[in-house]
Amino acid sequence: MANDPSSPVKLNVEFRTIKGHKFTKDGTKQALLNLTQDQGGNYIFEFENFPDRNVCKDFVASAIALSGEAGRTVPEKSAVPIQDEQLSAAEMERRIKLLQEDSDLQKLHKQFVIGGILSEAEFWATRKKLLEQNYSRRPKQRVALKNDMWSTKPLADGQSNRVTFNLTPEIILQIFAEKPAVRQAYLNFVPNKMTEKEFWTKYSRAEYLHSTKNVIAAAAEAAEDEELAVFLKQDDMLVNEARKKIRQVDPTLDMEADEGDDYMHLPIQDHGLPRNDNKDVLDSQYEPYRRSFSQHLNQHAAVVLQGRVIDVELGDTRSVAEALARTKHAELAKDASDVYLDKERLERISRMTEIEDLQAPRDPAVAPLSIKDPRDYFDSQQANAFSTLGDTVSGAKQLKCSVSTREAYCSLKECISEIKFQGLTEPTINSEVAFKVLNGLAQNISSNKYHLGRNPNESILDSLPKITREELLLHWSSIQELLKHFWSSYPITTKYLLTKATKLKDAMSQIYPKLQEIKESVQSDLRHQVSLLVQPMLQALDAAFAHYDADVQNRSARSGERPNGF
Amino acid sequence: MKFQIEDVTVYFPYDNIYPEQYAYMVELKRALDAKGHCLLEMPTGTGKTIALLSLITSYALSKPSNPIKFIYCTRTVHEMEKTLSELKLLHNYQLQHLGPAAKILALGLSSRKNLCINPTVVSAENRDSVDAACRKLTASWVRELAAENPRIPTCSFFENYEKSASEAILPPGVYTLQDLRAYGKLKGWCPYFLARHMVQLANVVVYSYQYLLDPKVAGIISKEMQRESVVVFDEAHNIDNVCIEALSVSVRMQTLEGATRNINRMSQEIDRFKATDAGRLRAEYNRLVEGLALRGDLPASDAWLANPALPNDILKEAVPGNIRRAEHFLSVLRRLVQYIRGRLQTENVEKEGPVAFVASVNTQAGIDQKMLRFCYDRLHSLMLTLEISDTDEFLHIQTICDFATLVGTYTRGFSIIIEPFDERMPHIPDPVLQLCCHDASLAIKPVFERFQSVVITSGTLSPIDLYPRLLNFNPVVSRSFTMSLTRDCICPMVLTRGSDQLPVSTKYDLRSDPGVEKNYGKLLLEMVSVVPDGIVCFFVSYSYMDGIVNSWHETGLLKEIMQHKLVFIETQDVVETTLALDNYRKACDCGRGAVFFSVARGKVAEGIDFDRHYGRLVIMFGVPFQYTLSRILLARLEYLRDTFQIKEGDFLTFDALRQAAQCVGRVIRSKADYGMMIFADKRYSRHDKRSKLPGWILSHLRDAHLNLSTDMAAHIAREGIKEEGSQMIIKVAVLDLSIACDST
Repeated sequence: MANDPSSPVKLNVEFRTIKGHKFTKDGTKQALLNLTQDQGGNYIFEFENFPDRNVCKDFVASAIALSGEAGRTVPEKSAVPIQDEQLSAAEMERRIKLLQEDSDLQKLHKQFVIGGILSEAEFWATRKKLLEQNYSRRPKQRVALKNDMWSTKPLADGQSNRVTFNLTPEIILQIFAEKPAVRQAYLNFVPNKMTEKEFWTKYSRAEYLHSTKNVIAAAAEAAEDEELAVFLKQDDMLVNEARKKIRQVDPTLDMEADEGDDYMHLPIQDHGLPRNDNKDVLDSQYEPYRRSFSQHLNQHAAVVLQGRVIDVELGDTRSVAEALARTKHAELAKDASDVYLDKERLERISRMTEIEDLQAPRDPAVAPLSIKDPRDYFDSQQANAFSTLGDTVSGAKQLKCSVSTREAYCSLKECISEIKFQGLTEPTINSEVAFKVLNGLAQNISSNKYHLGRNPNESILDSLPKITREELLLHWSSIQELLKHFWSSYPITTKYLLTKATKLKDAMSQIYPKLQEIKESVQSDLRHQVSLLVQPMLQALDAAFAHYDADVQNRSARSGERPNGF
Repeated sequence: MKFQIEDVTVYFPYDNIYPEQYAYMVELKRALDAKGHCLLEMPTGTGKTIALLSLITSYALSKPSNPIKFIYCTRTVHEMEKTLSELKLLHNYQLQHLGPAAKILALGLSSRKNLCINPTVVSAENRDSVDAACRKLTASWVRELAAENPRIPTCSFFENYEKSASEAILPPGVYTLQDLRAYGKLKGWCPYFLARHMVQLANVVVYSYQYLLDPKVAGIISKEMQRESVVVFDEAHNIDNVCIEALSVSVRMQTLEGATRNINRMSQEIDRFKATDAGRLRAEYNRLVEGLALRGDLPASDAWLANPALPNDILKEAVPGNIRRAEHFLSVLRRLVQYIRGRLQTENVEKEGPVAFVASVNTQAGIDQKMLRFCYDRLHSLMLTLEISDTDEFLHIQTICDFATLVGTYTRGFSIIIEPFDERMPHIPDPVLQLCCHDASLAIKPVFERFQSVVITSGTLSPIDLYPRLLNFNPVVSRSFTMSLTRDCICPMVLTRGSDQLPVSTKYDLRSDPGVEKNYGKLLLEMVSVVPDGIVCFFVSYSYMDGIVNSWHETGLLKEIMQHKLVFIETQDVVETTLALDNYRKACDCGRGAVFFSVARGKVAEGIDFDRHYGRLVIMFGVPFQYTLSRILLARLEYLRDTFQIKEGDFLTFDALRQAAQCVGRVIRSKADYGMMIFADKRYSRHDKRSKLPGWILSHLRDAHLNLSTDMAAHIAREGIKEEGSQMIIKVAVLDLSIACDST
């Protein structure tokens, strides 16, 4: 826990006594974190800045969630059920993070792992992929910047001479990203020289002057006010940045290099292109105050293309400015002599120069789709069907991810001929049962689709009362989870699996009456639809029970023959 | 693949070849055999460059007893890099098949700005300051001083290069500018001087047009190239303009002021030398008396831009007596500057021929034609004597002497135009004196005379019979090839009306019509929502582009466009434009999609490819005519009419249409590519305009696409993209398979 440097007493509170936490919004006055205790006490922590606070906040949240769960099963916080695997801290963290991100997953976790039906390891075993995905540090999906220029069209109210500008945190971020000089000025001036409000007023004034396109007036005002001049002058930082960046561009489009070969100091260089660079109408002293719209346009698009480079919550203007300045700095520092970049550039050029259709065809460049969780894309049932299938087809070959057409075709042919030759290996699940399950699931899909397809606004679920709906969904997902584990534990080869199957079967049989209950509790007009919904679940459960019973019988019959079991 | 064309075995680095590439090579080979010049037009997207490279290198390989040198001229540095990387590919292939016998030395050559690796020098802003910074470290007098006084800075790369002397050579291979820099760094040698030296020995040299066409540059770089060379001008559709520019000079008020400063500085220097080292000035005088206008052998680091007049026209005589003395020469320059200043005071536009101008200089300033002719060389000699190394400061007086030498040398094909103000801004005085060359054949004449084969080639040389007249030469082969196609990979359309059925045009009377601007904007908006990846738009001028983009911004059209794609724009600042282009490509690469606004005749239209997804559609807004009220253009048209019997209207249309074709041709680079082209101006539907487009565009221009409105064009674009998409299905199927494998 954090220590207050000013107080001599070290604070030490166990997490299991902490019930909840509250915190102030980013961008408000103070970065506070408030921990509430079981017995009603409060601990308030004040942080120096928001990012620090947020780190602690996240940690506390996960700790509370964990200790809350752990509190119910085992008294000690550290005794989050660890059975047969020693978890690294990182692994733990990842799981916690996953649970936090996905509330459904958290519910399931609570229900089964903490409910003691599944072990922690078992629960996560089926989600290896999820964990791995996170492990490979898939960058968090970020919302791109809006491709919308903050048009400096001031809102004038016609009567008075007042002009209003609207600034939101999003716009501020955009301004900072597009105009490093403004960002720098903010860091320099606020809050020592002027308040934030004064700063933005000044900025708006400058923008207004630009929008009037009166260069002379702008220059005159700038001469009087040096802070205003910062906004009105051209952005030197951008110019410097451009000079650095230009060294990294693809040489096949480096037009700056052409300048070097241009020995003709002539105005008619552009082959008869009329010269119309609004000629030096003005003295050179006004030069720095001229700004072109096209420049702004390019800078804007570049910033949007780069996307959100910082991971700071908007609102706190200063931290946004600082974070941007930091990333920019890092970016410019690292590039200077990047051999790797050079190499990549060369490769790109050589790829560009080749004439592709004169070449024998190459393997197409196949990139795996970046889908965070395929279940978002395919129906969850389908995914489950896939995974159970994957479980049952033992000895399925691990396929390479990137295969050429030819390879894929060959391996497919091989598989088919293999099956033709050997026949399918003895299915582990009774084919009728499997068929039934599949049928039930398929029916569910199609009926759902039927209804959903008709009128997207009117799904059956939406017509149900909220409580019923949520309950149904919860049961649905828990049944899925249980079934998955249940089927995956067949064929039973160890005692462990046997107990697991039994446990799962018990858990399922507990849900069974609940479903019936729901079915009966709803109003009569909805009952039919609900029963339609519940039916496949019940069927799936029935199938599982049947399989279980058959297996038990089988086993007892066999164990009669072989008394020493497995 | 390897095949025979008559007696030459051609090594071609690909497994297949387009029929037109083969035909192109056959014609090229005949021209080489005949040791004559040729003119070849082949559409973009048919691998012209590789065909050229592989035939000429194979031709050289097949005749080892009589090796020919291959000089390849590009318009821009990035094209140079592209060409060299294609050559690298080819060279590797030839090495594979022929072994070490195929070894050649090929390199690109550019200015110090692009080759220097000395960090203190290369950080200078532009070419002139880099040149000057280099000279400050490497000039012979600086090095002499540094030998005595180690505190005077020199360039270690140059010193190392000098020390290695004859050992400093490049091993065989293909060197891009980047490779040259890397090699220079590795060895600690100056890449620029190394390259300059190796150019004489190399089998293949790739450099910019100006190194051959501009006498100032050619005089020091290309002087010693052997006659047995094949010179190729690639993308040569604008070669006449380059030639003209090479011999044109313009003088403004700033130039005169700068020149006056330069003269004062030189006279101070003269006084200083008189006091300290009078011998130097006397030595120079004696040398000039002996008739050595310029000493034969200068160290390479002292070499300066050569005489602006063409080699044959330079007088091989002694410098006239009245400008041999430094002070006298300076007073001649003073009088000349004074005279020009007087001429710039005029209220009216004045136009006269060089003869009349020289006569008037003679009577009013007492400078005769011969003195004028020697101005440049005399200045050069003086500056060397005075040991001036900050040459970038002396550009102004150089310009004046350039002008003097040219005007004293040529009596035909030039005119002098003095304009007191810009035609479009009559209230702002901005006097300018221009010496314009009208005759493109002047600058290129020495090239035709010196080298046995000159190949002029481009994607757009239509009408092909015009170029021999403009450049005044007799090609032994002059052919235009068409594209053989298995599918329609380009889809040109002519859009004449907006969505409201009103005509669109950039014609003078319609240009600023808000309705036209809106229709153009709507067209783009339709297209950005239909066409994936990159779209390129070309406008007729910077001012028109700025105006229309601003008006789209104000009416909110731009905002709507930006909801579909990112918007980048070409500006007159090259650094910014380059970065914008780089970002544009990134946006196309990542699938975000982008629009690039550019200007016909601008730098982007000249040299940047928008192939594949970088350009699925190009829109040419308007017909890119030259600014027809320009005096220079009018004078040129007059000259063309009188000398070559080319009608003004014909030339203007020809010039505009070649620019338009050039712009739209940027979207296609190979036959696997696909690109749509929209000519958005009602004038394109007229036969006399349209027929000037190159054949490969015309053959794809269906009659149904000649008179479209915005919604019809959008429909065609949608269909076109769909059709193109269906050709991608195979690729997608492969992708699907891999996903399926991944998920099981």
